Amino acid sequence: MKVVELPLDRLQEAPWNSNLMPEDMLARLKESIKSYGIVENLVARKLEDSSYEVLSGNQRLKVLREMRFAHARLLAQALNHIQGEDDLGLRAELLRKVLETVPEAEVVAILPESTDSLKALASIGQGDIAQHLQAWQQAQAARLHHMQFQFTGEELALVEEAVARAVKELKGKADNPNARGRALVVICESYLNSKRLYAAYRRRTS
Amino acid sequence: MRDSRRVGVACAASVMVSTALDQRARRGSNPTAALHDLKVTPVPIIAAKRIIERGHYLHSLPGGTCLAFGPFVGRRLLGAVTFGVGPTLAHQLVEGAEPDDCLTLTRLWLSDGLPRNSESRVLGVILRSLRRYTDLKFLISYSDPAAGHVGTVYQASGWLYTGLSSAMPLYDLGDGVARHPRSLGHSFGSRSVQHFKRHGVEVNLVPQAAKHRYVYFLDPSWCSRLAVSVLPYPKREAKDEGC
Repeated sequence: MKVVELPLDRLQEAPWNSNLMPEDMLARLKESIKSYGIVENLVARKLEDSSYEVLSGNQRLKVLREMRFAHARLLAQALNHIQGEDDLGLRAELLRKVLETVPEAEVVAILPESTDSLKALASIGQGDIAQHLQAWQQAQAARLHHMQFQFTGEELALVEEAVARAVKELKGKADNPNARGRALVVICESYLNSKRLYAAYRRRTS
Repeated sequence: MRDSRRVGVACAASVMVSTALDQRARRGSNPTAALHDLKVTPVPIIAAKRIIERGHYLHSLPGGTCLAFGPFVGRRLLGAVTFGVGPTLAHQLVEGAEPDDCLTLTRLWLSDGLPRNSESRVLGVILRSLRRYTDLKFLISYSDPAAGHVGTVYQASGWLYTGLSSAMPLYDLGDGVARHPRSLGHSFGSRSVQHFKRHGVEVNLVPQAAKHRYVYFLDPSWCSRLAVSVLPYPKREAKDEGC
């Protein structure tokens, strides 16, 4: 983080700062600044109107004004969440650097992230839009589709009976949603065959 | 001697990165050059969610989000654009379309620190990429007039305006939580008011304002299939921000 030197009239005391310094301490601070200058830079954040609000060093600012200083050196703070300065792109870079040297498990233990979210956040800015979309398109072809049905309890029992029997006839299929889907396909094929409609359906869709 | 020209601030030696970006974005003499620095990349949905929840006026990312992109300026990620499945029957706007033929642009939020016209630029990159690398035929998006939005960015990017969408009410089951019908279906297996009434649950319908609806054809040969009329773009009544 770089140090900025700004005229004092661009610096504002933080109105929310509740810290007060007794007069004798202010006098000591004044003496210290007279002798050594500002040892520790002020920390401030930029406001909308291009002035800066002092986050740390409000008492020093008072003394500097009293002593008629023209400028102060300060760190322009970049960590305020509400001001939108927290940047996921920069954080991703930092995470990648950290993960080069610190084991992932240790990082996960410290940060409020899961392994997956940590990996995802560290990958920000690394992707290529063309490759990403090509992979996404390929994945769409493999995507299983869902259907929803609504049954009364009685109807549901009947459908479950039929599907369970059809699942058993599928070789090597455990009872799971995929197998139930396959079983339903078998049942539907059988229905269309019984109506002599299956061949026409295949011709239409092939 | 310090080189103050590097940061363009007369009274100080150096300013943090964001200030330099602001200068280039809003006060620079050549905004087009600033736009050239914009790079759009895919971003993890978890990252888009955090950005949208922080910056977008709705502070939420809808379920069913399947693609997310973000604009980078240098090393900084300054927004997010997300796409998802959208309304269940949205594909019926186009004759013969299946749900897989379209996506809904669900959220678009870019930082005020980006140059002017960044929205159009970012959207342009994404639309070109979707056209080139996917089989999607068209996109749908909505603008919320209740938030003062008329869809300026969609108008600037050549989307077709199809009028106000029919507004689906939200459902309140008496607990004060206004749920989207799809969320109700997922949680309770039904979105039928009659079904809840039969089980003694009183449902209050919370009316929602209609939204401006835009369609963008990635495959121009599908334009003729649009099942609704294309209307003149709505105009902004008062100065607003966002899309």
